[in-house]
Amino acid sequence: MALKVDPMKCTGCRICEFACNYHHDGSISPIGSSLMYYYEEKKNYYGMMVKRDKTLMLGRPEGEKVLKPGEQIEGAGASAKPILLRIACDLCKEEDNGPVCMQACPYGVLSMEG
Amino acid sequence: MTMETMNNYNGTILIVDLAAKSCSTQDLTEELIEKALGGAAINMELYEQYKDREPLILGSGFFTATFAPAACGGVMTAKSPITGKIAHVPFGWLTGVELKLTGFDFVVVLGKAAAPVRLWLHDGLSDINDSADIWGKDVWESTDKMREVYGDDMAQMLVIGKAGENKNPLAVVSENYWGGKDKAGLGAVFGAKNLKAVAMRGLGSLEVADGFFQKCVELKNGIIGGAIKGKAGLYDIGAALGIDAAALDKLKSITHRNDAGYNCAYPYYTFLKYNEAPTFMDMMGGSKEPGCLVSDLMGFASLAAAGVDAARAMETCYRLGLEPAAAGALLKKQGAGIEGLDSLAAGGAAEGLAAWIVNGALDSAIAAKTAAFSMAVPTRAIFGGSLDADGWINRQAMAYVLGIDPVMAVLCPEITGEKMAELVRISAEWDDFSADALHTICAELVKKSA
Repeated sequence: MALKVDPMKCTGCRICEFACNYHHDGSISPIGSSLMYYYEEKKNYYGMMVKRDKTLMLGRPEGEKVLKPGEQIEGAGASAKPILLRIACDLCKEEDNGPVCMQACPYGVLSMEG
Repeated sequence: MTMETMNNYNGTILIVDLAAKSCSTQDLTEELIEKALGGAAINMELYEQYKDREPLILGSGFFTATFAPAACGGVMTAKSPITGKIAHVPFGWLTGVELKLTGFDFVVVLGKAAAPVRLWLHDGLSDINDSADIWGKDVWESTDKMREVYGDDMAQMLVIGKAGENKNPLAVVSENYWGGKDKAGLGAVFGAKNLKAVAMRGLGSLEVADGFFQKCVELKNGIIGGAIKGKAGLYDIGAALGIDAAALDKLKSITHRNDAGYNCAYPYYTFLKYNEAPTFMDMMGGSKEPGCLVSDLMGFASLAAAGVDAARAMETCYRLGLEPAAAGALLKKQGAGIEGLDSLAAGGAAEGLAAWIVNGALDSAIAAKTAAFSMAVPTRAIFGGSLDADGWINRQAMAYVLGIDPVMAVLCPEITGEKMAELVRISAEWDDFSADALHTICAELVKKSA
């Protein structure tokens, strides 16, 4: 099982990122999330990354891509690198209503695969 | 409850003395929160406290940056150079959230700097930085330069262009590259203070009450299944409001994607691409500046009515920090093209600023009661519900106090006083806080802002 992003449904509202942080440490902040929003603002290019246990998923407007350790994050911008240090998505196994990012997202961007 | 445990807030007010180039802080007390909750209502309290020192207040709402629906809002309060009265100007998308995450819930900016400066708020720190490097540069160049200087593309900006530097009442405070909801000329207030920008980056942390998240999810689910269901973007709003069909068709033909502000369930920011194919999605290649993000439908319609390429004219207004609805009205009157915008930013009168004209009688009724809220927000219910003048004013006051996006407050009739009061009760652990208490705070805000 893994969390999946449908990038073309995303509007960049970022609530999943904050919900994820809340799941991990009970507070509102963008820094402890397994999800990360990245953008090139003037190009209106944006997407979400998910730090998985052994891989990194990029939900990019060009399509989805799963990177393995050591692979370069091309096209995600310099702002993408900090996610490699983040805690991996644990699929919110202890939450009563399933992954909090999926609950919080107004656009149905996130789903489970596998 | 001590300040350390007050949910939703950091507990800090920043006081900036521009003449002395010094910053200090004071506690955001529970007493003040009990009296005015947040946003424009606390801004108003601070404005009165410092009213002899030309205050400009930046505030976050009670729910800003939390899980409450559309809680993306910050609000600026100052005396409008257009009306001479108090104006509350909302700033949203990602900028309102960033303010709160800097660690400062409210920022009081006093007096005038001797030379151009900008305020850099980050991680609980505040710097007053010289801004000779960007004074005279347009909004886009300034935003790029500040992000380069501060080394962070995620830094959010409130910034002025040439119009603001010239203290022109047609000036706006821009949210990053894309203008904003400033119809009150607060861009000229920035300019008069020699304040080029407020740059913000916050990696702070806020506490929220147990059970708050789940209540917010329930409310969000009601919103997405409610009046906005099946709708998206500026186009659908414009169609519902009866905006000029040719202007809307043009907008649709160059629409790239619809974007949403923080935690907003309706994406009313529409990105228009005119320097490359609207369908182009790749990170690599393409134009570095393919188009612009538009949320001000009346600004777009006003420029279209002037007979110019409205999307490109929006970009020019953004760069100049110029209010597009008034600019469009003036271009039309002068029979000028896009090139006329530059001279409007240099001079120009405050004509045509009450630009939301889709429902004239209601606009007049609102104007007769208050000029405190942004007329960038449609003055009628759009996809559902109904609003009269008092209903619109109450709904806006509530949004400005709580940090709810004011357009979302009009789009989503599901965001009610009762639901918001319930979220306040949970957050603040005030068992007896009611919708009436919230309404009283909002009514007091309207009265004090007169």
